[in-house]
Amino acid sequence: MAAWSCRFLLLRGTRVIPPRAPAERPALLVGCIRTVKTTTWFEENVTEDNQEYMRKSMAEEYRRQTAEKLNPLKDEPWPRHEWTEGSRRVGLVAMKLGMVPVWTKTGERHVVTMLQVQDCHVIKYLSKEEYDGHSAALLVGGKNVSPFHRSEKQMEIFRNAGVPPKQKVTAFKVSDSAIIKPGTPLYAAHFRPGQYVDVTGKSIGKGFQGVMKRWGFKGQPATHGQTKTHRRPGASGPGGDPAKVFKGKKMPGQMGNTYITAYGLKIWRVNTKYNVLYVNGSVPGHKNCLLKVRDTVLPNRRSTLLNPPFPTYFTEEDGDLDEDLYDDDLFVHTEPSLTLT
Amino acid sequence: MAACTKRLDRFIISLRLLRNLQLQNERFLSTSQCLRAAGNDSESPKFVPPSKPVIVDKTQTVASLRKFLSPEFIPPRQRTDPLKFSIERKDMIRRRKVLNIPEFYVGSILAVTMADPNASGKTNSFVGICIQRGGKGLGATFVLRNIINNQGVEICYELYSPRIQKIEVLKLEKRLDDNLMYLRDALPEYSTVDPEMKPVPFSPTGEVPVNKIKVRMRPKPWSKRWERPKFNIQGIRFDLSLTPEQMEHAQKWAQPWLEYDMLKEYDTSKLEEQIIKEVQQEMSK
Repeated sequence: MAAWSCRFLLLRGTRVIPPRAPAERPALLVGCIRTVKTTTWFEENVTEDNQEYMRKSMAEEYRRQTAEKLNPLKDEPWPRHEWTEGSRRVGLVAMKLGMVPVWTKTGERHVVTMLQVQDCHVIKYLSKEEYDGHSAALLVGGKNVSPFHRSEKQMEIFRNAGVPPKQKVTAFKVSDSAIIKPGTPLYAAHFRPGQYVDVTGKSIGKGFQGVMKRWGFKGQPATHGQTKTHRRPGASGPGGDPAKVFKGKKMPGQMGNTYITAYGLKIWRVNTKYNVLYVNGSVPGHKNCLLKVRDTVLPNRRSTLLNPPFPTYFTEEDGDLDEDLYDDDLFVHTEPSLTLT
Repeated sequence: MAACTKRLDRFIISLRLLRNLQLQNERFLSTSQCLRAAGNDSESPKFVPPSKPVIVDKTQTVASLRKFLSPEFIPPRQRTDPLKFSIERKDMIRRRKVLNIPEFYVGSILAVTMADPNASGKTNSFVGICIQRGGKGLGATFVLRNIINNQGVEICYELYSPRIQKIEVLKLEKRLDDNLMYLRDALPEYSTVDPEMKPVPFSPTGEVPVNKIKVRMRPKPWSKRWERPKFNIQGIRFDLSLTPEQMEHAQKWAQPWLEYDMLKEYDTSKLEEQIIKEVQQEMSK
């Protein structure tokens, strides 16, 4: 039974002191924050040599597990089907690296975000009945993370798949022809240049924000007699007829740190050596955050997805891709300078 | 005796004739041989110019060449993954192998030719003095300023844009500042550059010449208060436009503690060495 622990914050003058040491003088109790849900952490009762040993053994086990899963097609793979018009395939979990400019063959400049696919594995298959009754789902995990801070329940799922524990685990709704055996690694070449994707991520948290920043209200003038009213919302609705404020009224509150999806982003370039996708425009989230990338849901952009690697890209099967796959319109830096005619 | 000389003369003449004939025959033979050798061409063989001699300058060793790392290669101090910078650097080197981006500083005079769909001949060229180098990575830019028909013109070019066809350094020199934006408020003679200027030769070894010119300004108001210490401008003659009291008043905005702020320190020496080595290796491949 996990025990809760509280951290008491004491205020002495203007300094806040974390109370590992007992307080010598009586001080004001500012608040208490629940931090750790178990009473011990993995390093507490372990000597330094043993800690190092645990870390090394964890790293070795990760390497062994990833090496085992490198050849999914030899490992009793599940039956593979052909791609049809209405079938949906898996997505990936990628990390946002940063943004770079990119030029087309006509000289136009666009900005792209680089997304790196790091240690992406399929973790579990949930059938239609298990998931939501409408379509099957595949759980996919992202970056590798240490097992010491994951609970037993989480570790069970990763152990069943034979895969190191992941930082982000998301579900992708897939059609039944696109299901993949758990443990299969997923690579950036799953997406091809010229295709459109939707990227979902947690936007940067801005905290409790006022109405001008959160909803773009105009506020009030700075001068001309305004009394203490410069950034307030002003009126909150019509008058006596409804005699109430409607639900969903834009008001101050928490801004950011929510899941936002950017739809219809074109893929300009895929680097198969480092598993990097170059995705048009900006993407929600801060640098080095994990995002969920999947094929577009927009109907006008689905026609570009003809014969994609289905159910996913396997290195053993079509492993002869170039290091860099470019879109047709993209200017590659090894070509001579443009001469516009 | 006369008969001998006559015969001798005739002999000599006949010898000469024979020699001439022989020579002519030889000439004919030689030309016909050439023609045959050229594969029965009816026209004369094309003139093949002799191969140009390769000049190897043994007085300048590799070690004495000036080491210059373009400032856009140095990554800013951020929480970005170094992998992103290394992938970007690879792209920058690929572009540099196609287009020669020379070494230049703020204060050098450059000529840039760019592809332009609206210009006649589809290219436009601009000559100007570089007043600012900004941006890092593939989006690095530089601003060239010149005064054309009494109108000041500044154009901001991207170093790695594919529309740029040629960048030529007409005069390589440094100035006392990293940012010459104050030329907008200086007298126009300091920003005028002759568009038909001939390139001034400079050596790839030794120090870059520093132009210690102090520029005279137009009367105040200026676009920015250049006398304030945050701009730290060395290249303006403040004594001609400002009184000593005004200079002292500007020092009120001085922040002398910034010099000692350890959190703002960003030591790039090791990074620079690493990147220089990497870039030189890749460029020589």
